[in-house]
Amino acid sequence: MKSTYYVLVGLLFLSFLGCRKQYEAPIPYTFTNTPGAGRFTKPTRLAMEGVYGVTDGSDQFGEQVALKWTYVINGADTTHFLSIFTGVDVGFFNLQGESKADTLTLTGYWRKLVNTETGRTQLTVHMKHNGQLQRFSGRLAAGDTLVIDGTYGNKAEEPAKKLTLKYRRPLNPKPFAILAHRSGGRTSDLLSVSENSVEIVKMASRLGATGIEIDVRYTKDGIPILYHDNTLNLRLIQKNGLDGDIEKYTYQQLQTFVRLINGERIPTLEEVLETVINNTTLSFVWLDTKYIGPMDKVQAIQQKFLQRAAQAGRQLQIVIGLPTQGAVDAYKALPNKSNTPILCELDTAITQSLGARIWAPRWTLGPQTDEVLAMKARGHTVYVWTLDEPKFIEQFISEGRFEGILSNYSPVVAYYHYTGQ
Amino acid sequence: MPGGLILAALLPVMGQGGLEPFQQPERRQPEIFFPQAPRPGEWRKSIGLIFTTTPPELTEEVRVSVPAIDAIIQHGISRRWFVVGRLQTQIVQSNLLVGVRWARPLTDRMFLSVGDDMTGWFGGLKVKDVFNSQAYGFENLPNASLGYRLTKDLQITVRGETILDLYYRSEVGTLAIVDKKLQVNGGAISFILEQPFYGNRHVSLGFRAAYSNFNWQFWSLYDTFDRNLFYPQIIFGFIL
Repeated sequence: MKSTYYVLVGLLFLSFLGCRKQYEAPIPYTFTNTPGAGRFTKPTRLAMEGVYGVTDGSDQFGEQVALKWTYVINGADTTHFLSIFTGVDVGFFNLQGESKADTLTLTGYWRKLVNTETGRTQLTVHMKHNGQLQRFSGRLAAGDTLVIDGTYGNKAEEPAKKLTLKYRRPLNPKPFAILAHRSGGRTSDLLSVSENSVEIVKMASRLGATGIEIDVRYTKDGIPILYHDNTLNLRLIQKNGLDGDIEKYTYQQLQTFVRLINGERIPTLEEVLETVINNTTLSFVWLDTKYIGPMDKVQAIQQKFLQRAAQAGRQLQIVIGLPTQGAVDAYKALPNKSNTPILCELDTAITQSLGARIWAPRWTLGPQTDEVLAMKARGHTVYVWTLDEPKFIEQFISEGRFEGILSNYSPVVAYYHYTGQ
Repeated sequence: MPGGLILAALLPVMGQGGLEPFQQPERRQPEIFFPQAPRPGEWRKSIGLIFTTTPPELTEEVRVSVPAIDAIIQHGISRRWFVVGRLQTQIVQSNLLVGVRWARPLTDRMFLSVGDDMTGWFGGLKVKDVFNSQAYGFENLPNASLGYRLTKDLQITVRGETILDLYYRSEVGTLAIVDKKLQVNGGAISFILEQPFYGNRHVSLGFRAAYSNFNWQFWSLYDTFDRNLFYPQIIFGFIL
């Protein structure tokens, strides 16, 4: 009888261990990805960018938002998207111009990254002239104000709740690096594309990023690939029966048998840098050294793509991150360190001794104002990583002296930077 | 699984013989979690460990079961009322709880208590090139326990808690953020067995399934998810 009690309690215990809730946030909108921007001409897009006050919908999206256009390049085609960064619960909108509409209409979705809230939205751009809403032709006279209004809904429901945005001022023009962790964001934030995939690199700008950090490892046969964890696991990949260290699999095995959580292949470092140059406007790539061993192959790829970027007329920095003493040793072991930009995450003395142009301390050390100013005075660029707490992001931007923030929540960094005055 | 293994290991040490609990309802076994008030003026104490497993949402592929020293003290103030103090500490971070409980028997075997606990937690980390951070906060935990004497020396307690956040402050270097909102952080349910363990020594052995938005032990992971995460805990304590 007594053993029955123990068995029952044990079973109860096991049943509780298995009660972890699975969260999902599927995007309730499908983009047509039609090249161009529809009726949104370049002057229209430029005029639309700015900080807007939220009149209807502020309970959901806050008192003000920042609007910014981005684009993805595909060969000769360029597809434009509008992002709205809300600053509430890491919220953002992703919208495309509705090419069939006679008016300046945008459709898309909104999402809050801290939870699973999402929904569809439809907005129209107007101009307020002499107190009357009129169609916006792309040109504003003195006293005219842009008003963007429409509706939003929850999940897949038809948008019905009112949303109105009124133009307040231009975006903060100061340069600031908005660096997206893991190529754009974490898989655990339930994005529609997987971290460290080609697909999220193409999406990074729409999440507010001006640069990305990517995690580099080697396959068994020495191909540099992108993958964060040490092992193949169901956090990052679809179930396939494979597990263990990723370094024990060849590139061909990974291509054949492994798909990331949203169905993408694990990309090579070369594929991703190719994508950055050919498809995006990103200006910074931080190669995080997740591998142990020689750095020469990564260095060769870095140099190859720096050259490609220069040939394409791109202002693109590709830097090798040195997060550990092991990575520093691998860097020191390179026979030729010329044309090998590096970023050091260790202390200022090591950063200077290595000749690293960029110093990137952890955010948990605080603003370190004296050290940051001293490093900047010596000509170093200073970024901070990996800062996700929205209230601290606000403080680091308003009070810190850093020139960029690496975050899983690039929409928040974008919001606080662009709305800053 | 460690809980299951410990349970299995303890099977042979069950006490044998004697009167059944319904034959002596006022008898108190050494107990800490069981919802029966200590006699007025009586002190009850226990010391042990509590292991909390990190949720994969926060630590990703790394799963760590973090142990904390867990000391509990109770004092009877009347036939049905008693006060509780509890300290959980991992040296660099600690949680101090004080609470009050009201308990009464429902039947010869079944007992009930309701109570309210206030906790204050503090954590500080100063590690070169890694942390210059500290945080503290206050939580309130209204709770209810139902206990059942299975045999004369084996009793089980099921305890439910609501976790309310009252105050949170986090500092990194010279920057600080504060959250003063009263909000429901989550809930927890515990299953605890209390029984003899070699000779006259008694132990508490159980698990607590907390399902909450924030867990004080993981303040330094700076969880930003607005989702309740699952924090399983194994509880093991010697009743002194």
